[in-house]
Amino acid sequence: MSSQQRFSFSRLLKSFVAPDVFDFWASKVSPTLAWERTLAKVVDRRVEAKDTVTLVLKSNRRFAGYQPGQHLNVTVEVDGVRLTRSYSPTSIPGNGRRVAITVKRVEGGKVSTQLCTRTQVGDVVELGTAFGEMTLANSSCNKWLFVAGGSGITPLISLVRALAAQGRAKDAVLLYWARTRAELCFGAELKALAEAQQGFQVHVFLTREASLLEGEFSGRPSAEQIEQLVSDLAERTVYTCGPAGFVAAVRSALQEKAGQFKEEAFSLPATVERGEGGGAAESVQVQLAITGRSVTVPVGQPLLKALEEQGIQPAYGCRMGICKTCVCNKTGGTTRDLMTGQTEAEPDQALRLCISSAETDLTLDL
Amino acid sequence: MTQRVQNRTLSTDELNQFGAELDALRARVQADLGEEDARYIRRIVKAVRYTEAAGRVLLFAGAFPPAWILGTLLLGISKILENMELGHNVMHGQYDWMQDPHLNGKTYEWDIVGTSDNWRETHNFRHHTYTNIRGMDEDIGYGLVRLFPEQRWKPGYLFQPIYSILFALLFQWGVAIQNLRLGHVFKGKKTKAQLKQDFIPVGRKIRRQLLKDYVVFPLLAGPFFLPVLLGNLVANGIRNVWTFTIIFCGHFTADAEVFPKSVLENETRAHWYLRQLRGSSNLTGGKLFHIMSGNLSHQIEHHMFPEIPARRYAEMAKEVQEICARYGQHYNTGSIWRQFGQVIGRILRHSLPSKPASRSVQDGVPA
Repeated sequence: MSSQQRFSFSRLLKSFVAPDVFDFWASKVSPTLAWERTLAKVVDRRVEAKDTVTLVLKSNRRFAGYQPGQHLNVTVEVDGVRLTRSYSPTSIPGNGRRVAITVKRVEGGKVSTQLCTRTQVGDVVELGTAFGEMTLANSSCNKWLFVAGGSGITPLISLVRALAAQGRAKDAVLLYWARTRAELCFGAELKALAEAQQGFQVHVFLTREASLLEGEFSGRPSAEQIEQLVSDLAERTVYTCGPAGFVAAVRSALQEKAGQFKEEAFSLPATVERGEGGGAAESVQVQLAITGRSVTVPVGQPLLKALEEQGIQPAYGCRMGICKTCVCNKTGGTTRDLMTGQTEAEPDQALRLCISSAETDLTLDL
Repeated sequence: MTQRVQNRTLSTDELNQFGAELDALRARVQADLGEEDARYIRRIVKAVRYTEAAGRVLLFAGAFPPAWILGTLLLGISKILENMELGHNVMHGQYDWMQDPHLNGKTYEWDIVGTSDNWRETHNFRHHTYTNIRGMDEDIGYGLVRLFPEQRWKPGYLFQPIYSILFALLFQWGVAIQNLRLGHVFKGKKTKAQLKQDFIPVGRKIRRQLLKDYVVFPLLAGPFFLPVLLGNLVANGIRNVWTFTIIFCGHFTADAEVFPKSVLENETRAHWYLRQLRGSSNLTGGKLFHIMSGNLSHQIEHHMFPEIPARRYAEMAKEVQEICARYGQHYNTGSIWRQFGQVIGRILRHSLPSKPASRSVQDGVPA
């Protein structure tokens, strides 16, 4: 059947059945059956390391797949609220519609805590579309150096596994930083791979371990140390992933020397505090994702008014927070509810422009 | 007519404190929203779906009279629940915080011939912002019924005791065409071309609803086409009469007030709260009654806090009532019999010419 025919069939169905009604009854048939949404069931859960859990998800037919090294938005419900975070699949494609994510619990992190400690086999999560540039196809060299900091191992293990599956692990070196030995993931597997495919090297760096075992290193990433371990940097594509500070250190050490350099830093939930007493006329940048515009607005002013002063005309009604005409989706940044004084840093929030002000740079669906 | 209730005139300070107490109540409940509220609204969704399915299945056996009666009632209940506790409240954005695409206030589409988009404009914005202000809140009698002496009398109103019954029976159609503003077209304030443009989404929604209830489901019943069609018609009618009753009780009881446009000048949020209080009236009853009214039985709380999930109004009402008592403000509540009796009283009384009691500027609601 052509996609054209399928499309019109679904349109025909849609003219009689609303998607929410369809999804309700579909979920009674199978928990992941849905009209347009990519739902996935947790089919396996295993503890990978301290505070770290791997969840194997089996998605419905809506899932468009992923490439090793990419990320995936995962949405779970925590205390009645659906929250979304990006995780990297640690598996490799090719196992039906299964995908594994490895999640480290972040202190105070709502989603990571939910996924690590409360999510059970049988639970359902929602998946987004895979994104990210750190793929094998995007590398210009045919040898690799992967530099992982903490949870930054997740996209990189997927790349290692993909190369191993093609028998090309010998072309890769993995440098893996963690705080303690207990936090290391995939240790046995990496060791076995180094033995199975001669040439694949893995070096572990522990920054907070009192005593080191043979073959373990300590200290922060430095050019000298890395050059001692990897002599042919100029022939390698370097992919690095980790916390922002770690990635910055790797960048300054390797960017000039590597054949190709790509980085991805993850930022922790933004609990950004504005610098106190940093001057009165503070302003931030607001990115308008739909129109592609970017404007500067003052902190503390209702966003509706601030945007209007920049010549933008969002829909509005009451201008006092009750009618929700001006609600638009905020995809990033921190705002303040001017009625309650509460700040909100959660991405993907329905924002009432008339009673919210910007606290940090924002991205809005306008 | 003398004013039936005495409200204490509030000083500016008192009024601001009154507003601050209500703001604090809102903030407290808002901070407490969570899993229980999410579970509640999903249970309502479940109740809507199962009553609809049961009603429609029973109607397929509608040649058997008890099945027809029960099926029609269940379908009517389902539509009431969907329109009120689910649709109306979700469209207010009461559950936006859940980030559930199926419970999103801006995209939710309800099971009624009126479009959600028009409702969000006439109701969420105009009715809720300008509640009971003449010339701004088109819900005052919907341009058809004269309920307050402040509305100018015309001979046509003599017939309103009769056509109000028709209006109740066809209430969903009133909702559907409200935002088309046919009155403006007749008066020449709106062009036919504009009307045609505005009618496109309305027509599409009407077609969808008519096809669903009067073509697709009756056809699915095969030989029982007619009983299914009639069952759907009656179920829609039950919903129409019930929603009409609840909505008219919300703002048109004997003690509900209307306001001139001048109240909007420099109106603060505290003034606005007071206006909501004086223009709204509650209904007393049990838990099931509150759910079936979409918690619009707590009309006062709904108007003060339209974006707070309606299941919270019952607990908030206790505090609102206590706050109103402390500030000497009348809190208009009563049984549905008493309140609807007063609505009927207004429909009858003001079908005849009537004059507003001369009174000074709204007590405590300075212009």
